[in-house]
Amino acid sequence: MARHGSQSDDYAGPLKRLLLAVLLICLFGLFIFWRIDSPRVERFRAQIVDAVIPGFDWAMAPVTGAVKILRDFQSYQRIHDQNQELRRELRQMTAWKEAALQLEQENARLRDLNNVRLDPRLTYITGVVLADSGSPFRQSALINVGSRDGIVDGWATMDGIGLVGRISGVGANTSRVILLTDATSRIPATIQPSGQRALVVGDNTAAPPIDFLENPDQVRPGDRIVTSGDGEVFPPGLLIGQVAQDPGGRLRVRLAADYERLEFLRVLRDHGARRVTSPSALILPEAAPAADTAEATETPDG
Amino acid sequence: MAESRAARLWIMRAAFVGLSFAVMFYHLLPLDMMPARLAGPDVLVLLCLSWALRRPDYVPAILVAAVMLLADLMFQRPPGLWSGLVLLATEFLKSRDRRDRESTFFMEWVSVAIVLLAITIAFRLALAILIVPAGPSFLGIMRYLTTVAAYPVVVVLSQLLLGVRRMAPGEFSASGRAQ
Repeated sequence: MARHGSQSDDYAGPLKRLLLAVLLICLFGLFIFWRIDSPRVERFRAQIVDAVIPGFDWAMAPVTGAVKILRDFQSYQRIHDQNQELRRELRQMTAWKEAALQLEQENARLRDLNNVRLDPRLTYITGVVLADSGSPFRQSALINVGSRDGIVDGWATMDGIGLVGRISGVGANTSRVILLTDATSRIPATIQPSGQRALVVGDNTAAPPIDFLENPDQVRPGDRIVTSGDGEVFPPGLLIGQVAQDPGGRLRVRLAADYERLEFLRVLRDHGARRVTSPSALILPEAAPAADTAEATETPDG
Repeated sequence: MAESRAARLWIMRAAFVGLSFAVMFYHLLPLDMMPARLAGPDVLVLLCLSWALRRPDYVPAILVAAVMLLADLMFQRPPGLWSGLVLLATEFLKSRDRRDRESTFFMEWVSVAIVLLAITIAFRLALAILIVPAGPSFLGIMRYLTTVAAYPVVVVLSQLLLGVRRMAPGEFSASGRAQ
């Protein structure tokens, strides 16, 4: 039987082998091409994702909702305790709210006296989370606003309170947010009140470690971490989280954003951000403008 | 008879694509944004391998390549590398399977485990050579182990639910050739 099969394979065999070889060359070629010219392939990826995910979306929303309802249902068992706890917290919050209102009024009066205008650049667009990265090795989220809504690569993304991540990969209707927990995420930060500069380095855990700290002695657990605006990556002063120390003594960030409930994300419009247009723009010095000015100064002479 | 067989072939190919989409859909659901401590099995690869060993005509090379490449793009993996390796693995198992048809399920499981280990190592090696971050190796090992452990489940489920089983001797595939 087997011999008979291999005989009748005479035509199909080489053809199949040829097809296999072509497919393999295409796939591995794509990988090599991605390694050489990553931005182009990533744009292609963003377009594919943009075409596929909205097709999934009609089913995703109800399934996600149903699973969340099921999970909530489990928590009904503890509902009485939760209720008590919430009441307690609510009482504390009312006190805080009173204090905040008084401060806000005072603040408004002072601003009025100083004739202060708030920075109009920091407006935002809100998007809904459509999908996650689908893999335990990458931490990212897909949101339903894209280049159609004016989203640009590199803009900061927050939930109501803290920084969540950075836009990387924009399609027409969707864009991808690389979360602070992703292993490729590096965010320049300032630790208050000591003013120490550091990097928040994602490492695929829930609490990213703090790296390149000048003087760890001046930093205590509980200090606030905000973006520093170094390198013009992000606008300065966005809240990232609090310093915490893990059992190994390493300083980590307890993120302010609620990563367990990421549903709506704010993308901050940041028109001052440096745009990365060519692959080498981040590393190479910006030589082109200098050459232009040199020419401009020379032409009047000539 | 021949027509219904051809129809079944295309239905099963469509079922493979449909199942793959369902698996991708499940993975992409934004249920948990916290970094995972556990890595589950890679069900797409298991589907490809187990179906390739049972009914190679249901998973032609081009279908495997297309589905895995789409998965690469959707799951933020380096595009092309993992799909190429999985394609190699399925074709290798298909070609080997003709020789030792009579082997037991345990032997099949072992050979799948070895092939998976080979492509996993090749994947991480290629990424390491080209200096692409490949994620924590602990998660990689766990993913490999869970994938191997889940192989019988995928085999049994696809046999019970979709009737994907080995062809008996004397049965012919849709193209009229004995496999």
